[in-house]
Amino acid sequence: MADSDDANDGARADEALMARVARGDEAAFRQLSRRHAPAMVGLARRVLGNAADAEDVVQEAMLRVWTHAPRWQPLAAFRTWLTRVVVNLCLDRKRRKPWVDLNAAGEIIDPTPGVPEIAEKNEREQALTAAIGELPDRQRTAILLTYSEGMSNAEVAEVLDTSVSAVETLLIRGKKSLRAKLGAMIDGDEVR
Amino acid sequence: MTKNKMTETEFEQLLAITLKPGATAERDDQAGANRVLKRLAGPLPRQQMAWWRLPTVLLDWEFAPAWPRVAVLATCAALGFAIGLIGLDQQVDTADAALAFVSRADFGGVVLDGDPTQGVR
Repeated sequence: MADSDDANDGARADEALMARVARGDEAAFRQLSRRHAPAMVGLARRVLGNAADAEDVVQEAMLRVWTHAPRWQPLAAFRTWLTRVVVNLCLDRKRRKPWVDLNAAGEIIDPTPGVPEIAEKNEREQALTAAIGELPDRQRTAILLTYSEGMSNAEVAEVLDTSVSAVETLLIRGKKSLRAKLGAMIDGDEVR
Repeated sequence: MTKNKMTETEFEQLLAITLKPGATAERDDQAGANRVLKRLAGPLPRQQMAWWRLPTVLLDWEFAPAWPRVAVLATCAALGFAIGLIGLDQQVDTADAALAFVSRADFGGVVLDGDPTQGVR
């Protein structure tokens, strides 16, 4: 209840800021950027698997917010719209660039010294992250938006410009692919 | 130690744990966001104007004069009308004889005459 109240307050604040941005208020634009840039950088980094590209994408997305602000109509929550812009820019960039394996990028390795359980857990998480990186773009994006951003299926559908049932299909297929890719590691692993 | 297949719930938990942003990732995201904000600190490009906003922009112009200006204009007009009726302007004209002479003189003839000194002794 409190979370939904906070979300509503946040959405109203975003809408008020966007109204000011639409009138050319640069201070409001910078405030809006400060509110959303960290989450968008995180999302873009997870979709692209590359921090530098993620920052470029978020910069481009925020500039689009500025230039398109006078034409923006509050049909959806600002955050959902911004997420959609970021996801579309990420998918465009991925189409132009070949995928870089997350293992090769070496971002997920935890430097904590090795208790075997932690090492095993990390290994499993790393394998899962790498497997997510190999999923088709829309399946990966649906999984990231659901599990990483905590979005509902309806919100994911809005971001991906598709139906809720299509999102459910993407999630089912994505998870099935992940299980298949991880195969022995998940099915054969010890579960406590 | 037993070998079990991972259940759907356990797989969901693994996904949630793996993909939930941790403290380190949040710090990295904040640092990345700060770099983005620094890049956005410069001059921003021109905004795109929506065509359906043009009538609003035109209506924002104040073509009608403001009421105080109308009041000042009306007062000036009334004052000028009253001065004309009373004849204050005539008294000013007759008080300055030199000005009256100049106003009666045929200045057009003096100025346009090719040789105004001809015939003068």
